[in-house]
Amino acid sequence: MLVSLAGPAVGAPEEDASARRDDSTGTGSEAAGLSADTGAPSTATDLDAADIVRRAMDHYRGLSSRARMTMTIHRPDWERSLSLDAWTRGDDHTLVRVTAPARDAGNATLTVEGNMWTWSPGINRVIKIPSSMMNQNWMGSDFSNKDVSKDAALVDEYDHRLLDRERHEGQTVYVIESVPHEEAAVVWGREVLRIRADWVLLEQRFYDQAGALVKTLVSRDIRVMDGRPVAAVMRMGRVDRPGEWTELHTRDVDFDIALSDSLFTLSSLRNPRQ
Amino acid sequence: MMRIATSLRLLPSLLTLAWRNLWRNHRRTLVMLSAIALGVWAMIFMTAMMRGMIDQMVQNGLATLPGHAQIHHPDFVRDPSVVNRFAEPGGELLAALEQPPVTAWAARLRVPAVVASEYASRGVTLLGVDPAAEAALGSLPGELVAGRALQGPADAGVVLGESLAQRLETAVGRRVVLMSQDPDNDVADRGARVVGIYRGRLEGDEERFAYTGRDSLQALLGVEGEVTEAAMNGPDYRRVVAWLPDIRRAAGASLSVQPWQTLNPFLASMLGLQDGYALVFMLVVFLVLSFGLVNTLVMAVFERTRELGLIQALGMRPGLILLLILMESLWLLLLGLALGNALALATLWPLRDGLDLSAVAAGLEMMAMGTTLYPLLELSDMAMASAVVVGLGLLASLLPAWRASRLAPVVALARD
Repeated sequence: MLVSLAGPAVGAPEEDASARRDDSTGTGSEAAGLSADTGAPSTATDLDAADIVRRAMDHYRGLSSRARMTMTIHRPDWERSLSLDAWTRGDDHTLVRVTAPARDAGNATLTVEGNMWTWSPGINRVIKIPSSMMNQNWMGSDFSNKDVSKDAALVDEYDHRLLDRERHEGQTVYVIESVPHEEAAVVWGREVLRIRADWVLLEQRFYDQAGALVKTLVSRDIRVMDGRPVAAVMRMGRVDRPGEWTELHTRDVDFDIALSDSLFTLSSLRNPRQ
Repeated sequence: MMRIATSLRLLPSLLTLAWRNLWRNHRRTLVMLSAIALGVWAMIFMTAMMRGMIDQMVQNGLATLPGHAQIHHPDFVRDPSVVNRFAEPGGELLAALEQPPVTAWAARLRVPAVVASEYASRGVTLLGVDPAAEAALGSLPGELVAGRALQGPADAGVVLGESLAQRLETAVGRRVVLMSQDPDNDVADRGARVVGIYRGRLEGDEERFAYTGRDSLQALLGVEGEVTEAAMNGPDYRRVVAWLPDIRRAAGASLSVQPWQTLNPFLASMLGLQDGYALVFMLVVFLVLSFGLVNTLVMAVFERTRELGLIQALGMRPGLILLLILMESLWLLLLGLALGNALALATLWPLRDGLDLSAVAAGLEMMAMGTTLYPLLELSDMAMASAVVVGLGLLASLLPAWRASRLAPVVALARD
């Protein structure tokens, strides 16, 4: 779900998406390029569904992005907000820095290829997040460290199936059921995605293995940023705890910008240059 | 010299005399006899119970450890991570492990890991095992309450403890995610289906240990053909030292071979403590007994002051009188011992299949014990109880006996 941290980037040129799909997954790309207009309901196949998800994922992140966001963590008796700067490149490089409030400013998280490090200026150390902490909350939010670091997994480690089509603001919405593979490192029984034809992920529902809905990621306030439709607000919340949720507000985002290799390194984590 | 020879010659007569004296006041003798028998019974019975408890703690500890001895990478005990691993035993070491006195052995991958479900995640010790070898070692959890056991080293399923499964809100047939770290400290994770749920010997174990196939865990961590631990059993856990040097030689200098006493010093000290405890317990019981014994003898001497004066006046030497009183005490003690031992055997026999203590299971759990107590009777304990009773009993009888021998015949005869 790095997705959400990186800022939902949508509408990358189609050839970019196809190219990245090929080199990032190497499998399943035999699916014919499916555009929003040509996908006919009657002929939708499983491969189509996988392709839609892949497209949506690619479009979330773009080739690279830089976003300014506010993360609001809400609990029944308190609420706090963090301002974040986030950079992403490809599927598996992400850097997030806290810029406000002053107390938390400087805290940063780097994920590269599934591994995760944090930097805390208070203790002046880089800490590698051990596997034992991957399921813990990321900065106290409703996102787990794993949500933040496991981004491309949704494409490759699931079987996707097109369940239904709906309409939303005049566009087709694909309802896709994604079931994790047997050995995928995913606890959910299945996930249901609502992806709009312009590749905005409207909703992601997480079901447990008994079929009960556990948590949802919901997008709202879709507007155009840097020339692409983006969900300005995404909310992650547990179904059984309605008073607890985390919202990510994207203030502005730039897509497909040039980012140097040195940005996604431990030394950059330690010594911010941007 | 003469005197001792005379005494020895008179011993049979003295024994007869003492025996008859004993039954002149048969009620008092019977009361004293039952006190001694009860004391001896308590010594043997309670010690057998305590030994049973301790033995079970040690056995449980060894099953969990597991094994009577273990082989590790030398740094594993300090840092139990997959970094400190070694190749599965082969060559000379394998040959040594496959033959007596080693009765069973298993090589396993033991790593800290996290098991995550939809609702929770828990830190556990994940054991990649070869189920057949572990079964021979007796280290697999006792009872499967749902699903099936692991079917081989390649089994990719995971077997969880009952209370862990409850905390994770998962069940047989559901998938969980296993997360650990590979030797490069990178995250290694995969989904695994819960194939079985076990009930541990102890509830604590259920939350501590999760089991999966050895080969599948090796593949997850990228350490094919390597393990972190090899555990083995010998014929008797008390005598590991006898065969351990051979294994050590076969393992070579690059591996550390340690007996369970080193791996779990707490268990080892429990055994040592038990011996001391048994002796102290017997001494305390005896101390209580000795008051009754001395009192009985003092009374016997007091009642027979005239008689003792008379036989002394008739020519019996003080030494023989002392011996006579000691013989009375000896009869009493021997009879009490025989009764007490018989009583202890009679009460322990029905309990040989274990004493069900499930009513106080929670308390036993804290002592790392199961709910069934198997008394453990050792000959050495019976011998020690007998030695304590006879030896110290005679010592305690010396005082009244000595006083009886020091009576002046004239004064004694004058008393009525």
